[in-house]
Amino acid sequence: MSADIVYEFAFGSYQDALRMVGVRTEPRVAGTAVSADRIQHFAAMVRDGNPSYWDPDFAARVWGGLVAPPALLMGLLIPPPWMPTAQPRLAGLSLRVPLPGTTFINASNEAEFLTPVLAGDVLHVVEELVAVSPEKTTKLGVGHFVETCESFYRDDGTLVATNRNTLFRFTPGQQR
Amino acid sequence: MTWDEVSVPADLPDVVDEVSYQRVVMNAATTWDYFPGHYDPAYARSQGHPTIFVNTMHIAGFIDRIATDWAGPDSRVVRRKMRILGSIYAGDSMVGRPRVIDKRAETTSAATRYLVDLEVDVCNQRGELCCPAEVTVELAPGACRR
Repeated sequence: MSADIVYEFAFGSYQDALRMVGVRTEPRVAGTAVSADRIQHFAAMVRDGNPSYWDPDFAARVWGGLVAPPALLMGLLIPPPWMPTAQPRLAGLSLRVPLPGTTFINASNEAEFLTPVLAGDVLHVVEELVAVSPEKTTKLGVGHFVETCESFYRDDGTLVATNRNTLFRFTPGQQR
Repeated sequence: MTWDEVSVPADLPDVVDEVSYQRVVMNAATTWDYFPGHYDPAYARSQGHPTIFVNTMHIAGFIDRIATDWAGPDSRVVRRKMRILGSIYAGDSMVGRPRVIDKRAETTSAATRYLVDLEVDVCNQRGELCCPAEVTVELAPGACRR
């Protein structure tokens, strides 16, 4: 048995979505520890030669180990695109808010990084649905802004980062 | 560079990054964000986009790279705020326009943190503002003395 990651949205009305505001998820644990492979693959994509990501001696001396790029934070808790398990791996809370929109795009993000995340750390995240806006019309279509707040913890319970994200869940081309 | 030597305000040089199709595909691969708008041009077009586009993490990584390339590898990003006004598509150039807007020393019972705030406007090659951002870097303790 196996399952792909599920990007299917929950569908419902704005009232359905409002009933979900305030929901906090159970801690969701990363499937794997932060690794040098993922750190350096991301740094290569961004073309960031910072030795904190590439040079184990420098990183150990300055930070205590190879550092996960702060920008990769959300990705460290995204499940792999396929798992050898029967249970589908769900995407983040924001995509599971019941709304009419058929797609989404990110609108804003504010993150605070309290302490460096290092190779070997196993993170977990708690997500909260903070707000859902009334219906808005933008150049992309009609939809709702969905605001979530994620708290990221190391396995010893230390809060390492918070991430407040707003996405626009909309149906393309729908203008009123 | 030390914290004392940081001028406020100050414009820093633009940084240009070519975003090829390969890098947008790498974007999905490295972040495990396989939302189809990041790898499937037909899906992206069906949603009103000209082609696939990078995700928030890619733009954030570009902003962080600009900040720590300037502040040094023993600095670190402690806060970043960004708004996505437009997408960066495969084939675009991503242009970062950074400037120093503030610096401050925050003292707690444990230590003093030496912080510098940058504004980074991320535009495309047409000069359209896609992502205005603010990022705060903490300079290394050794960088706070002359």
